[in-house]
Amino acid sequence: MGARYPLMRIVDFGAVGRGRALPEGGLAATFELERAALLRFLAARAGNADEAEDFLQDLWIKLQTPTSAPVANPKAYLFRMANNLVLDARRARQRAMTRDRGWINADGDDDCAPEDRKDPGLPADEEIAARQEAQVLQNAIDALPDGARRALVLYRFEERGQAEIAQIMGISRSGVEKHLAVAMKHLRKALCDCGLFATAASEGQENTKGHGLETGSTA
Amino acid sequence: MSGEEDRIASEAAIWHAASANDDMDWDGFTTWLEADPRHAVIYDEIALADARLQELTPTLTPPLMAANDAAEAEHATYQGRHAGWWRWAGGALAACLVAVLAVPQFLQTDPHIYETADASRTIALADGSHIALAPHSRLQIADGEQDMELSGGAWFNISHDPSRKLTITAGQLQISDIGTQFDVQHNGDGVRVNVAEGTVNVSSQALSAPVRLEAGRGLLFDASNGVSRVNAIPLEDAGSWRSGRLSYQSMPLALVASDITRYAGVQVTVAETLRNREFSGTLIVTDGKTALRDLSQLMGVDVTGNGDSFRLVPPDR
Repeated sequence: MGARYPLMRIVDFGAVGRGRALPEGGLAATFELERAALLRFLAARAGNADEAEDFLQDLWIKLQTPTSAPVANPKAYLFRMANNLVLDARRARQRAMTRDRGWINADGDDDCAPEDRKDPGLPADEEIAARQEAQVLQNAIDALPDGARRALVLYRFEERGQAEIAQIMGISRSGVEKHLAVAMKHLRKALCDCGLFATAASEGQENTKGHGLETGSTA
Repeated sequence: MSGEEDRIASEAAIWHAASANDDMDWDGFTTWLEADPRHAVIYDEIALADARLQELTPTLTPPLMAANDAAEAEHATYQGRHAGWWRWAGGALAACLVAVLAVPQFLQTDPHIYETADASRTIALADGSHIALAPHSRLQIADGEQDMELSGGAWFNISHDPSRKLTITAGQLQISDIGTQFDVQHNGDGVRVNVAEGTVNVSSQALSAPVRLEAGRGLLFDASNGVSRVNAIPLEDAGSWRSGRLSYQSMPLALVASDITRYAGVQVTVAETLRNREFSGTLIVTDGKTALRDLSQLMGVDVTGNGDSFRLVPPDR
Protein backbone atom coordinates (compact mmCIF):
# COMPACT_ATOMS: atom_id res chain seq x y z
CA MET A 1 0.00 0.00 0.00
CA GLY A 2 1.03 3.53 0.52
CA ALA A 3 2.03 5.88 -2.21
CA ARG A 4 5.48 7.20 -1.50
CA TYR A 5 5.92 10.88 -1.16
CA PRO A 6 9.19 12.54 -1.91
CA LEU A 7 10.77 14.28 1.03
CA MET A 8 9.60 17.84 1.36
CA ARG A 9 12.16 20.53 1.43
CA ILE A 10 11.43 23.40 3.77
CA VAL A 11 11.80 26.14 1.22
CA ASP A 12 10.84 25.09 -2.25
CA PHE A 13 9.32 27.32 -4.81
CA GLY A 14 9.34 24.63 -7.41
CA ALA A 15 9.89 26.34 -10.67
CA VAL A 16 12.96 25.51 -12.67
CA GLY A 17 14.83 28.62 -13.58
CA ARG A 18 14.89 30.31 -10.24
CA GLY A 19 18.03 28.58 -9.12
CA ARG A 20 21.56 29.56 -9.87
CA ALA A 21 22.87 28.65 -13.28
CA LEU A 22 25.34 25.82 -13.32
CA PRO A 23 28.73 26.32 -14.82
CA GLU A 24 28.89 25.08 -18.39
CA GLY A 25 29.12 21.31 -18.43
CA GLY A 26 27.31 20.86 -15.11
CA LEU A 27 24.59 18.80 -16.73
CA ALA A 28 27.11 16.68 -18.59
CA ALA A 29 28.96 15.95 -15.37
CA THR A 30 25.71 15.00 -13.66
CA PHE A 31 24.82 12.84 -16.63
CA GLU A 32 28.03 10.86 -16.21
CA LEU A 33 27.47 10.56 -12.50
CA GLU A 34 23.89 9.37 -12.92
CA ARG A 35 24.35 7.35 -16.09
CA ALA A 36 23.73 3.97 -14.46
CA ALA A 37 20.72 5.22 -12.51
CA LEU A 38 19.29 6.86 -15.64
CA LEU A 39 19.70 3.67 -17.62
CA ARG A 40 18.05 1.64 -14.91
CA PHE A 41 15.22 4.14 -14.74
CA LEU A 42 14.74 4.15 -18.51
CA ALA A 43 14.72 0.35 -18.61
CA ALA A 44 12.03 0.24 -15.94
CA ARG A 45 10.08 3.09 -17.51
CA ALA A 46 10.22 1.78 -21.07
CA GLY A 47 9.99 -1.86 -19.99
CA ASN A 48 12.79 -2.77 -22.35
CA ALA A 49 16.57 -2.61 -21.95
CA ASP A 50 17.37 -2.03 -25.64
CA GLU A 51 14.95 0.84 -25.89
CA ALA A 52 16.49 2.25 -22.71
CA GLU A 53 19.91 2.44 -24.38
CA ASP A 54 18.36 4.33 -27.28
CA PHE A 55 16.62 6.76 -24.95
CA LEU A 56 19.85 7.35 -23.04
CA GLN A 57 21.55 8.11 -26.35
CA ASP A 58 18.78 10.57 -27.24
CA LEU A 59 19.13 12.20 -23.85
CA TRP A 60 22.87 12.64 -24.34
CA ILE A 61 22.28 14.22 -27.74
CA LYS A 62 19.70 16.58 -26.31
CA LEU A 63 22.17 17.71 -23.67
CA GLN A 64 24.47 19.00 -26.41
CA THR A 65 22.01 21.81 -26.98
CA PRO A 66 22.58 24.38 -24.26
CA THR A 67 19.54 25.20 -22.16
CA SER A 68 18.27 28.73 -21.95
CA ALA A 69 16.93 28.50 -18.41
CA PRO A 70 19.31 27.92 -15.55
CA VAL A 71 18.95 24.50 -13.99
CA ALA A 72 18.36 24.45 -10.26
CA ASN A 73 18.62 20.71 -9.74
CA PRO A 74 20.52 18.89 -12.48
CA LYS A 75 19.60 15.39 -11.35
CA ALA A 76 15.88 16.15 -11.30
CA TYR A 77 16.26 17.93 -14.63
CA LEU A 78 17.93 14.92 -16.28
CA PHE A 79 15.42 12.41 -14.97
CA ARG A 80 12.54 14.63 -16.02
CA MET A 81 14.05 14.89 -19.48
CA ALA A 82 14.45 11.11 -19.60
CA ASN A 83 10.88 10.66 -18.43
CA ASN A 84 9.65 13.05 -21.11
CA LEU A 85 11.58 11.27 -23.84
CA VAL A 86 9.71 8.07 -23.04
CA LEU A 87 6.43 9.95 -22.81
CA ASP A 88 7.01 11.61 -26.19
CA ALA A 89 7.67 8.23 -27.77
CA ARG A 90 4.49 6.85 -26.21
CA ARG A 91 2.52 9.82 -27.48
CA ALA A 92 3.81 9.30 -30.98
CA ARG A 93 2.79 5.65 -30.77
CA GLN A 94 -0.59 6.64 -29.36
CA ARG A 95 -1.20 9.05 -32.22
CA ALA A 96 -0.26 6.45 -34.77
CA MET A 97 -2.68 4.01 -33.18
CA THR A 98 -5.41 6.61 -33.09
CA ARG A 99 -4.91 7.22 -36.78
CA ASP A 100 -4.77 3.55 -37.65
CA ARG A 101 -7.64 2.13 -35.77
CA GLY A 102 -9.95 4.75 -34.38
CA TRP A 103 -9.99 4.92 -30.66
CA ILE A 104 -13.66 4.40 -29.98
CA ASN A 105 -14.31 0.72 -29.51
CA ALA A 106 -17.22 -0.87 -31.26
CA ASP A 107 -18.58 -2.15 -27.96
CA GLY A 108 -19.86 1.31 -27.13
CA ASP A 109 -19.08 2.98 -23.84
CA ASP A 110 -21.79 5.14 -22.41
CA ASP A 111 -19.31 7.57 -20.93
CA CYS A 112 -18.65 8.91 -24.40
CA ALA A 113 -21.22 11.45 -25.43
CA PRO A 114 -23.34 9.67 -28.05
CA GLU A 115 -23.59 12.68 -30.30
CA ASP A 116 -19.83 12.79 -30.49
CA ARG A 117 -19.32 9.14 -31.18
CA LYS A 118 -18.53 8.38 -34.69
CA ASP A 119 -19.35 5.31 -36.68
CA PRO A 120 -16.92 2.69 -35.38
CA GLY A 121 -16.51 1.29 -38.85
CA LEU A 122 -14.89 4.42 -40.22
CA PRO A 123 -11.17 5.05 -39.89
CA ALA A 124 -10.48 7.58 -37.19
CA ASP A 125 -9.94 11.16 -38.05
CA GLU A 126 -7.57 12.93 -35.72
CA GLU A 127 -9.70 15.99 -35.50
CA ILE A 128 -12.81 14.07 -34.57
CA ALA A 129 -10.78 12.10 -32.07
CA ALA A 130 -9.50 15.32 -30.55
CA ARG A 131 -13.04 16.67 -30.26
CA GLN A 132 -14.24 13.49 -28.62
CA GLU A 133 -11.32 13.43 -26.23
CA ALA A 134 -11.89 17.06 -25.36
CA GLN A 135 -15.50 16.26 -24.53
CA VAL A 136 -14.50 13.25 -22.43
CA LEU A 137 -11.92 15.31 -20.57
CA GLN A 138 -14.36 18.18 -20.10
CA ASN A 139 -16.95 15.86 -18.56
CA ALA A 140 -14.33 14.22 -16.37
CA ILE A 141 -13.04 17.58 -15.12
CA ASP A 142 -16.54 18.82 -14.39
CA ALA A 143 -17.21 15.66 -12.36
CA LEU A 144 -14.03 15.89 -10.25
CA PRO A 145 -14.20 16.36 -6.50
CA ASP A 146 -13.94 20.09 -5.66
CA GLY A 147 -10.37 20.11 -4.34
CA ALA A 148 -9.03 18.06 -7.22
CA ARG A 149 -10.84 20.18 -9.77
CA ARG A 150 -9.63 23.41 -8.30
CA ALA A 151 -6.03 22.19 -8.10
CA LEU A 152 -6.22 20.94 -11.69
CA VAL A 153 -7.61 24.22 -12.99
CA LEU A 154 -4.84 26.16 -11.28
CA TYR A 155 -2.23 23.70 -12.55
CA ARG A 156 -3.21 23.09 -16.13
CA PHE A 157 -5.47 25.98 -17.12
CA GLU A 158 -3.66 28.73 -15.21
CA GLU A 159 -0.32 26.95 -15.38
CA ARG A 160 0.67 27.71 -11.84
CA GLY A 161 3.37 25.73 -10.04
CA GLN A 162 2.49 23.32 -7.28
CA ALA A 163 4.09 25.46 -4.58
CA GLU A 164 1.98 28.41 -5.68
CA ILE A 165 -1.17 26.28 -5.75
CA ALA A 166 -0.40 25.14 -2.20
CA GLN A 167 -0.31 28.77 -1.12
CA ILE A 168 -3.47 29.70 -3.00
CA MET A 169 -5.41 26.75 -1.62
CA GLY A 170 -3.87 27.06 1.82
CA ILE A 171 -2.77 23.43 1.94
CA SER A 172 0.57 21.62 1.98
CA ARG A 173 2.39 20.84 -1.21
CA SER A 174 1.86 17.13 -0.73
CA GLY A 175 -1.84 17.97 -0.39
CA VAL A 176 -1.65 19.58 -3.83
CA GLU A 177 0.07 16.47 -5.16
CA LYS A 178 -2.74 14.33 -3.80
CA HIS A 179 -5.43 16.54 -5.35
CA LEU A 180 -3.63 16.52 -8.69
CA ALA A 181 -3.14 12.77 -8.48
CA VAL A 182 -6.87 12.28 -7.90
CA ALA A 183 -7.57 14.48 -10.92
CA MET A 184 -5.06 12.67 -13.16
CA LYS A 185 -6.39 9.30 -12.08
CA HIS A 186 -9.92 10.32 -13.03
CA LEU A 187 -8.79 11.67 -16.39
CA ARG A 188 -6.98 8.45 -17.16
CA LYS A 189 -10.06 6.45 -16.18
CA ALA A 190 -12.29 8.58 -18.37
CA LEU A 191 -10.01 8.17 -21.39
CA CYS A 192 -9.58 4.43 -20.70
CA ASP A 193 -13.33 3.96 -20.44
CA CYS A 194 -13.69 5.52 -23.84
CA GLY A 195 -11.14 3.18 -25.28
CA LEU A 196 -8.25 5.54 -25.83
CA PHE A 197 -5.81 3.19 -24.18
CA ALA A 198 -7.47 -0.01 -25.38
CA THR A 199 -4.39 -1.30 -27.12
CA ALA A 200 -1.90 -0.20 -24.52
CA ALA A 201 -4.03 -1.67 -21.76
CA SER A 202 -4.39 -5.04 -23.42
CA GLU A 203 -0.68 -5.11 -24.08
CA GLY A 204 -0.18 -4.46 -20.42
CA GLN A 205 -2.57 -7.22 -19.56
CA GLU A 206 -0.58 -9.70 -21.63
CA ASN A 207 2.66 -8.57 -20.10
CA THR A 208 1.23 -9.08 -16.70
CA LYS A 209 0.06 -12.57 -17.45
CA GLY A 210 3.40 -13.40 -18.99
CA HIS A 211 5.27 -12.32 -15.90
CA GLY A 212 2.73 -13.85 -13.60
CA LEU A 213 3.38 -11.11 -11.06
CA GLU A 214 0.84 -10.47 -8.40
CA THR A 215 1.65 -8.48 -5.35
CA GLY A 216 -1.05 -9.95 -3.17
CA SER A 217 -3.73 -7.68 -1.77
CA THR A 218 -6.47 -7.30 -4.35
CA ALA A 219 -8.83 -5.50 -1.99
CA MET B 1 -11.49 -1.40 -12.70
CA SER B 2 -10.07 -3.95 -10.30
CA GLY B 3 -8.95 -2.93 -6.85
CA GLU B 4 -5.41 -3.76 -7.83
CA GLU B 5 -5.56 -1.55 -10.92
CA ASP B 6 -7.07 1.21 -8.83
CA ARG B 7 -4.23 0.95 -6.33
CA ILE B 8 -1.62 1.10 -9.09
CA ALA B 9 -3.36 4.04 -10.74
CA SER B 10 -3.40 5.96 -7.45
CA GLU B 11 0.30 5.38 -6.91
CA ALA B 12 1.15 6.15 -10.52
CA ALA B 13 -0.78 9.40 -10.34
CA ILE B 14 1.07 10.47 -7.21
CA TRP B 15 4.40 9.73 -8.87
CA HIS B 16 3.30 11.67 -11.91
CA ALA B 17 2.21 14.72 -9.92
CA ALA B 18 5.47 14.61 -7.94
CA SER B 19 7.63 14.32 -11.07
CA ALA B 20 7.14 18.01 -11.82
CA ASN B 21 9.02 18.94 -8.67
CA ASP B 22 12.74 19.12 -8.09
CA ASP B 23 12.51 16.96 -4.99
CA MET B 24 11.01 13.98 -6.82
CA ASP B 25 12.46 10.70 -5.56
CA TRP B 26 13.56 9.32 -8.93
CA ASP B 27 15.33 6.30 -7.44
CA GLY B 28 12.19 5.42 -5.50
CA PHE B 29 10.17 5.82 -8.68
CA THR B 30 12.54 3.46 -10.50
CA THR B 31 12.11 0.87 -7.76
CA TRP B 32 8.34 1.25 -7.98
CA LEU B 33 8.40 0.77 -11.75
CA GLU B 34 10.58 -2.32 -11.42
CA ALA B 35 8.27 -3.90 -8.88
CA ASP B 36 5.57 -4.81 -11.40
CA PRO B 37 5.42 -4.38 -15.18
CA ARG B 38 1.86 -3.10 -14.91
CA HIS B 39 3.18 -0.07 -13.02
CA ALA B 40 4.88 1.33 -16.13
CA VAL B 41 1.83 0.61 -18.31
CA ILE B 42 -0.58 2.43 -16.04
CA TYR B 43 1.90 5.22 -15.36
CA ASP B 44 2.09 5.71 -19.14
CA GLU B 45 -1.66 6.08 -19.30
CA ILE B 46 -1.71 8.64 -16.51
CA ALA B 47 1.06 10.65 -18.15
CA LEU B 48 -0.61 10.37 -21.56
CA ALA B 49 -3.95 11.53 -20.16
CA ASP B 50 -2.22 14.57 -18.66
CA ALA B 51 -0.33 15.26 -21.89
CA ARG B 52 -3.60 15.05 -23.81
CA LEU B 53 -5.20 17.43 -21.34
CA GLN B 54 -2.40 19.92 -21.91
CA GLU B 55 -2.78 19.65 -25.67
CA LEU B 56 -6.50 20.19 -25.42
CA THR B 57 -6.76 22.85 -22.70
CA PRO B 58 -7.13 25.64 -25.27
CA THR B 59 -10.33 23.96 -26.50
CA LEU B 60 -11.67 23.23 -23.02
CA THR B 61 -13.73 25.45 -20.77
CA PRO B 62 -12.35 25.84 -17.27
CA PRO B 63 -15.15 24.56 -15.00
CA LEU B 64 -15.67 27.96 -13.40
CA MET B 65 -16.76 29.49 -16.66
CA ALA B 66 -18.88 26.49 -17.57
CA ALA B 67 -21.92 28.70 -18.11
CA ASN B 68 -20.33 30.18 -21.20
CA ASP B 69 -20.22 28.45 -24.50
CA ALA B 70 -16.62 27.47 -25.21
CA ALA B 71 -16.53 29.25 -28.55
CA GLU B 72 -18.11 32.36 -27.12
CA ALA B 73 -16.29 32.26 -23.80
CA GLU B 74 -15.06 35.73 -24.60
CA HIS B 75 -17.54 37.58 -22.47
CA ALA B 76 -16.11 37.44 -19.03
CA THR B 77 -18.38 39.33 -16.73
CA TYR B 78 -17.24 42.02 -14.43
CA GLN B 79 -18.52 41.27 -10.99
CA GLY B 80 -17.35 44.19 -8.94
CA ARG B 81 -17.94 43.52 -5.27
CA HIS B 82 -19.36 40.05 -5.77
CA ALA B 83 -16.51 38.18 -7.30
CA GLY B 84 -16.68 35.39 -4.73
CA TRP B 85 -14.23 32.65 -5.49
CA TRP B 86 -11.85 34.69 -7.57
CA ARG B 87 -11.78 37.50 -5.11
CA TRP B 88 -10.90 34.99 -2.42
CA ALA B 89 -8.23 33.36 -4.54
CA GLY B 90 -6.80 36.75 -5.32
CA GLY B 91 -6.71 37.58 -1.65
CA ALA B 92 -4.85 34.38 -0.90
CA LEU B 93 -2.48 35.11 -3.73
CA ALA B 94 -1.88 38.60 -2.44
CA ALA B 95 -1.15 37.10 0.97
CA CYS B 96 1.40 34.79 -0.54
CA LEU B 97 3.04 37.62 -2.42
CA VAL B 98 3.48 39.36 0.88
CA ALA B 99 5.05 36.20 2.23
CA VAL B 100 7.44 36.06 -0.68
CA LEU B 101 8.43 39.68 -0.21
CA ALA B 102 9.23 38.95 3.40
CA VAL B 103 12.07 36.61 2.41
CA PRO B 104 13.37 38.35 -0.68
CA GLN B 105 17.00 37.37 -0.29
CA PHE B 106 16.27 33.74 -1.18
CA LEU B 107 14.31 34.42 -4.26
CA GLN B 108 14.76 37.73 -5.82
CA THR B 109 17.29 40.04 -7.13
CA ASP B 110 16.43 43.70 -6.86
CA PRO B 111 13.76 44.69 -9.33
CA HIS B 112 14.82 46.59 -12.40
CA ILE B 113 12.70 49.59 -13.20
CA TYR B 114 12.52 51.01 -16.69
CA GLU B 115 10.86 54.36 -17.26
CA THR B 116 10.46 56.24 -20.46
CA ALA B 117 9.81 59.92 -21.19
CA ASP B 118 8.97 61.12 -24.72
CA ALA B 119 10.64 58.22 -26.50
CA SER B 120 10.02 54.50 -26.41
CA ARG B 121 12.81 52.05 -25.69
CA THR B 122 13.53 48.39 -26.19
CA ILE B 123 14.35 46.10 -23.30
CA ALA B 124 16.13 42.82 -24.05
CA LEU B 125 15.65 39.91 -21.68
CA ALA B 126 18.24 37.26 -20.95
CA ASP B 127 16.39 34.58 -22.92
CA GLY B 128 16.24 36.57 -26.16
CA SER B 129 12.76 37.94 -25.57
CA HIS B 130 12.30 41.64 -25.96
CA ILE B 131 9.91 44.33 -24.91
CA ALA B 132 9.21 47.68 -26.54
CA LEU B 133 8.24 50.08 -23.76
CA ALA B 134 6.02 52.91 -24.98
CA PRO B 135 6.66 56.58 -24.20
CA HIS B 136 5.65 57.78 -20.72
CA SER B 137 5.52 54.24 -19.40
CA ARG B 138 7.02 52.28 -16.58
CA LEU B 139 7.95 48.62 -16.38
CA GLN B 140 9.24 46.91 -13.27
CA ILE B 141 10.96 43.57 -13.78
CA ALA B 142 11.63 41.39 -10.75
CA ASP B 143 12.28 37.86 -9.64
CA GLY B 144 14.61 36.78 -12.43
CA GLU B 145 12.44 38.25 -15.16
CA GLN B 146 9.45 36.17 -14.01
CA ASP B 147 7.42 39.00 -12.60
CA MET B 148 6.65 42.28 -14.32
CA GLU B 149 4.47 45.22 -13.56
CA LEU B 150 3.45 47.66 -16.25
CA SER B 151 1.87 51.05 -16.26
CA GLY B 152 1.55 52.67 -19.66
CA GLY B 153 2.06 50.68 -22.81
CA ALA B 154 4.37 47.93 -23.97
CA TRP B 155 4.76 45.47 -26.78
CA PHE B 156 5.96 42.07 -25.63
CA ASN B 157 7.74 39.54 -27.78
CA ILE B 158 8.35 36.67 -25.40
CA SER B 159 9.99 33.48 -26.56
CA HIS B 160 8.16 30.35 -25.63
CA ASP B 161 9.49 28.44 -22.66
CA PRO B 162 6.99 26.15 -20.91
CA SER B 163 9.04 26.11 -17.73
CA ARG B 164 8.90 29.84 -17.17
CA LYS B 165 6.13 31.32 -15.09
CA LEU B 166 6.18 34.88 -16.29
CA THR B 167 3.35 37.04 -15.02
CA ILE B 168 2.73 40.61 -16.09
CA THR B 169 0.56 42.75 -13.88
CA ALA B 170 -1.20 45.71 -15.48
CA GLY B 171 -3.73 47.48 -13.30
CA GLN B 172 -6.14 44.87 -12.01
CA LEU B 173 -5.15 42.28 -14.61
CA GLN B 174 -2.56 39.54 -14.48
CA ILE B 175 -1.29 38.21 -17.77
CA SER B 176 0.36 34.82 -17.68
CA ASP B 177 1.00 31.70 -19.71
CA ILE B 178 2.90 33.64 -22.26
CA GLY B 179 4.78 32.49 -25.34
CA THR B 180 3.82 35.04 -27.84
CA GLN B 181 3.60 38.57 -29.18
CA PHE B 182 1.09 40.89 -27.63
CA ASP B 183 0.48 44.47 -26.63
CA VAL B 184 -0.65 45.82 -23.29
CA GLN B 185 -1.96 49.31 -22.60
CA HIS B 186 -2.72 50.36 -19.06
CA ASN B 187 -4.12 53.84 -18.49
CA GLY B 188 -5.72 54.61 -15.17
CA ASP B 189 -8.58 52.15 -14.77
CA GLY B 190 -8.42 50.79 -18.31
CA VAL B 191 -6.31 47.86 -19.43
CA ARG B 192 -6.19 46.55 -22.97
CA VAL B 193 -4.48 43.37 -24.09
CA ASN B 194 -4.17 42.65 -27.83
CA VAL B 195 -2.61 39.40 -28.99
CA ALA B 196 -0.79 39.18 -32.33
CA GLU B 197 0.62 35.69 -32.04
CA GLY B 198 0.13 32.70 -29.73
CA THR B 199 -2.09 32.94 -26.67
CA VAL B 200 -2.04 34.52 -23.24
CA ASN B 201 -4.10 33.94 -20.14
CA VAL B 202 -5.65 36.98 -18.48
CA SER B 203 -6.98 36.78 -14.96
CA SER B 204 -8.18 39.22 -12.37
CA GLN B 205 -10.01 39.30 -9.09
CA ALA B 206 -12.53 41.41 -10.92
CA LEU B 207 -13.19 38.85 -13.63
CA SER B 208 -15.55 35.96 -13.03
CA ALA B 209 -13.07 33.63 -14.70
CA PRO B 210 -9.73 33.82 -16.47
CA VAL B 211 -9.86 34.60 -20.16
CA ARG B 212 -7.67 32.88 -22.70
CA LEU B 213 -6.84 35.27 -25.51
CA GLU B 214 -5.71 33.97 -28.84
CA ALA B 215 -4.00 35.77 -31.67
CA GLY B 216 -6.39 38.23 -33.26
CA ARG B 217 -8.25 38.89 -30.03
CA GLY B 218 -8.20 41.92 -27.84
CA LEU B 219 -9.46 42.32 -24.28
CA LEU B 220 -10.72 45.64 -23.02
CA PHE B 221 -11.01 45.86 -19.25
CA ASP B 222 -12.41 49.16 -18.02
CA ALA B 223 -12.83 49.22 -14.26
CA SER B 224 -14.17 52.79 -14.27
CA ASN B 225 -17.48 51.67 -15.74
CA GLY B 226 -17.32 47.94 -15.05
CA VAL B 227 -16.91 46.84 -18.66
CA SER B 228 -14.88 43.93 -19.83
CA ARG B 229 -15.12 42.60 -23.35
CA VAL B 230 -13.19 40.63 -25.94
CA ASN B 231 -13.14 41.67 -29.58
CA ALA B 232 -11.65 40.32 -32.73
CA ILE B 233 -8.85 42.65 -33.82
CA PRO B 234 -6.80 42.81 -37.00
CA LEU B 235 -3.43 41.24 -36.19
CA GLU B 236 -1.50 44.26 -37.42
CA ASP B 237 -3.34 46.51 -34.99
CA ALA B 238 -1.69 44.93 -31.96
CA GLY B 239 1.22 47.17 -31.02
CA SER B 240 0.69 49.44 -34.03
CA TRP B 241 1.77 52.43 -31.91
CA ARG B 242 5.30 51.33 -32.78
CA SER B 243 4.65 52.55 -36.30
CA GLY B 244 2.89 55.74 -35.21
CA ARG B 245 -0.63 54.47 -35.70
CA LEU B 246 -3.46 53.80 -33.24
CA SER B 247 -6.44 51.72 -34.35
CA TYR B 248 -9.65 51.35 -32.41
CA GLN B 249 -12.91 49.52 -32.49
CA SER B 250 -15.67 50.91 -30.28
CA MET B 251 -13.15 52.32 -27.83
CA PRO B 252 -14.33 54.67 -25.05
CA LEU B 253 -13.14 58.17 -25.87
CA ALA B 254 -11.45 58.55 -22.50
CA LEU B 255 -9.05 55.75 -23.38
CA VAL B 256 -8.41 57.13 -26.85
CA ALA B 257 -7.56 60.49 -25.28
CA SER B 258 -5.15 58.92 -22.83
CA ASP B 259 -3.43 57.18 -25.74
CA ILE B 260 -3.04 60.48 -27.60
CA THR B 261 -1.53 61.94 -24.46
CA ARG B 262 0.94 59.07 -24.25
CA TYR B 263 1.83 58.61 -27.90
CA ALA B 264 1.36 62.04 -29.43
CA GLY B 265 2.69 64.13 -26.59
CA VAL B 266 -0.26 66.47 -26.10
CA GLN B 267 -2.33 66.51 -22.92
CA VAL B 268 -5.92 65.62 -23.73
CA THR B 269 -8.82 65.31 -21.33
CA VAL B 270 -12.42 64.46 -22.09
CA ALA B 271 -15.62 66.07 -20.81
CA GLU B 272 -17.51 63.78 -18.45
CA THR B 273 -20.46 63.41 -20.83
CA LEU B 274 -18.19 62.20 -23.63
CA ARG B 275 -16.02 59.76 -21.72
CA ASN B 276 -17.94 56.66 -22.80
CA ARG B 277 -18.68 57.73 -26.35
CA GLU B 278 -17.10 55.10 -28.55
CA PHE B 279 -14.59 55.69 -31.30
CA SER B 280 -13.75 53.37 -34.18
CA GLY B 281 -11.01 54.23 -36.63
CA THR B 282 -7.29 54.83 -37.04
CA LEU B 283 -5.32 57.83 -35.87
CA ILE B 284 -1.84 58.76 -37.06
CA VAL B 285 -0.06 59.97 -33.95
CA THR B 286 3.22 61.28 -35.31
CA ASP B 287 1.80 64.75 -34.70
CA GLY B 288 -0.41 65.17 -31.66
CA LYS B 289 -2.40 68.16 -32.79
CA THR B 290 -3.24 66.58 -36.13
CA ALA B 291 -4.35 63.41 -34.38
CA LEU B 292 -6.53 65.41 -32.04
CA ARG B 293 -8.08 67.38 -34.90
CA ASP B 294 -8.80 64.16 -36.81
CA LEU B 295 -10.38 62.62 -33.75
CA SER B 296 -12.58 65.64 -33.01
CA GLN B 297 -13.77 65.80 -36.62
CA LEU B 298 -14.52 62.07 -36.81
CA MET B 299 -16.42 62.21 -33.54
CA GLY B 300 -18.16 65.53 -34.14
CA VAL B 301 -16.89 67.04 -30.92
CA ASP B 302 -15.15 70.32 -30.16
CA VAL B 303 -11.63 70.90 -28.90
CA THR B 304 -10.87 73.59 -26.39
CA GLY B 305 -7.55 74.59 -24.89
CA ASN B 306 -4.24 75.75 -26.19
CA GLY B 307 -0.53 75.13 -26.10
CA ASP B 308 -0.11 71.49 -25.24
CA SER B 309 -3.25 70.95 -23.18
CA PHE B 310 -6.64 70.28 -24.71
CA ARG B 311 -10.08 69.11 -23.78
CA LEU B 312 -12.68 67.34 -25.88
CA VAL B 313 -16.13 68.82 -25.21
CA PRO B 314 -19.62 68.40 -26.66
CA PRO B 315 -20.19 70.57 -29.77
CA ASP B 316 -21.25 74.06 -28.93
CA ARG B 317 -24.54 74.54 -30.70
